[in-house]
Amino acid sequence: MIEVNDLHKSFTKVKALDGLSFSAKDGEITGILGPNGAGKTTCLRTLYGLLTADQGSASIDGIDVLKDPLAARKRLGIFPDKFGLYERLTAYEQIDYFASLHGLQGKAKHQAIETVIKDLEMEELAHRRTAGFSQGQRMKVTLAQALVHQPKNFVLDEPTRGLDVMSTRVLRNYLARFREKGHCILFSSHVMQEVAALCDRVIVVAGGKLAAQGTPEELCELAGEKHLEEAFVKIIGSDEGVAA
Amino acid sequence: MIQFKALFIKEIKEALRDKRAMMVAMMMAFMAPVMIFAMSKVMISKATEKPIVYVKITGGEYAPKLIKHFETANLMSFDSVPEDKKVMWDERNITLTIPDTFAKDLSEGNVIDIIFSADHSDKAMLIPIKRVERAVRAFSLSIGYKRLMVRGIDVKLLQPLNLIEQDTAQPNSSPLVITMMLGMYLLMTAFMSGLPLAIDSSAGERERNVLEMLLCQPVDTLKVVLAKLTSASVIAVIGVLLTLTLTSVAVDFVDLAKIGAAFSLDMYTFTALLSLLVPICVFASALQLFFAFQSKSFKEAQSTVTMIVMVPAMLPVALMMMDDRPKWTEWMPVAGQSLLMEDILKGIPTSWGMIGFTGLVTLAISAALVLATAKKLKSEKVVLALS
Repeated sequence: MIEVNDLHKSFTKVKALDGLSFSAKDGEITGILGPNGAGKTTCLRTLYGLLTADQGSASIDGIDVLKDPLAARKRLGIFPDKFGLYERLTAYEQIDYFASLHGLQGKAKHQAIETVIKDLEMEELAHRRTAGFSQGQRMKVTLAQALVHQPKNFVLDEPTRGLDVMSTRVLRNYLARFREKGHCILFSSHVMQEVAALCDRVIVVAGGKLAAQGTPEELCELAGEKHLEEAFVKIIGSDEGVAA
Repeated sequence: MIQFKALFIKEIKEALRDKRAMMVAMMMAFMAPVMIFAMSKVMISKATEKPIVYVKITGGEYAPKLIKHFETANLMSFDSVPEDKKVMWDERNITLTIPDTFAKDLSEGNVIDIIFSADHSDKAMLIPIKRVERAVRAFSLSIGYKRLMVRGIDVKLLQPLNLIEQDTAQPNSSPLVITMMLGMYLLMTAFMSGLPLAIDSSAGERERNVLEMLLCQPVDTLKVVLAKLTSASVIAVIGVLLTLTLTSVAVDFVDLAKIGAAFSLDMYTFTALLSLLVPICVFASALQLFFAFQSKSFKEAQSTVTMIVMVPAMLPVALMMMDDRPKWTEWMPVAGQSLLMEDILKGIPTSWGMIGFTGLVTLAISAALVLATAKKLKSEKVVLALS
């Protein structure tokens, strides 16, 4: 369960978040939709404690990220906006590294790594150094290291950018499986079809504020449009920064 | 502990796989014996070799024994100068005039005036002039001694005083230059060896977008900094160890005694130097991480941190210039170690208490730097390189 309450954040003259509030429930996939610069990444960075909000609060399973960031992060699997790989390590070593950072060790760690590698269909990549990996392969390694400790909550910042159809499907199936297991999944995206197909609830963010929320159907109904894309454009009042 | 182990192993693994960085790290160590060997060789040859001096001798034919004595001292007649050196020795114009009455005066026991002229103000001529003077004096003495001996007089009577010269080694004397250079070199090694790892694991990781990922994990930033510091220090200590080992091997191949250097890297010196340098390795890595994390980019980190490397190079020289060194320089990081190292290499006994105290001060300052870096890593400005 992820809860965001009245978040405010400014960078010198830019107001990135202006009282954003929403919640993402367990057993649901919640999508954050918004044009470029709407404050999605700022909001997610505040959630994993990289940025400190000027006002408001955010909590993961009831743990305030400001008061106890380490405990909050233990319950999170993070796929950040900017992600890189340790190119001198193999994919397996990277996943192992992040598993250890989450306190896994011994047989349990080994088992967790093997499972995530199998689930993301990356057996062939596992023992290769990551230098020279394709965008899709890099994405898979990042996902694997974010999810190896089977966190209760996933936060993914545009995880499907640059992925081919097959990899996107692997990811979608993977997320759907975790939803069934009762995990809370929050992910931001630009891609309407994906949000429509995958999300139980959609949060539309514009200008650092919550513009609307509900199921994709409810949003269409609210805007009086048939397609989510049209509804989205109507809700935010412009078609700037929207990818089909 | 699991987290620290994972962080540390990852840093070391990455460092060992970065061949170029390792090459830079170990370059100092491999260059050390070459430097020591080359420098000592040059100095020894300068100090012990007696290159040929060409003297314009007039009347040489009157004193064939003196000429022979000259030749054994490598002082040759200008007639035999090779073509390529002719101009130089002609300009130097060292002349010696032997009177035609040499043989007669010698047999009669008269004082013979030999005229020696050269430009005494020319620095390059100092040694040749001294050698000619010494040769003439030695020849003269040998005849004098013989004269006394045939008269049954002990030649020791001519030497009521015997002056034994001892070199108190001023900083410009050759053996001390070697020890000073070695001290400076060791400090530079401590600073240079861990440098590639320190920059790569801080500014490099941020530029590759992996630092942000790491700081989103449930790890205390103090652990992150400590792991990075430990790995950079370990590499630096390996560099120093290797430098010391290779230098002690190299020194065995050079006969430093020829230039009067009582310099050896025995077990005591080795241990004392290492105890001085280990805290410096930690301090250097802490300083490098502190500045590298605050730089906006990898490139900026490189230039800032390279400037820091100048500290160990400049400090010993600055200290040498100071006549009245303030007391605190003796325990300040780098300066303290530099002074103690100078004593150790000179063979002056040093107290372990002082070595330990300087080390503790250095480690305390390093700890403060680590805490400051860990605090900085909690700031969004540093993590995201915001200005």
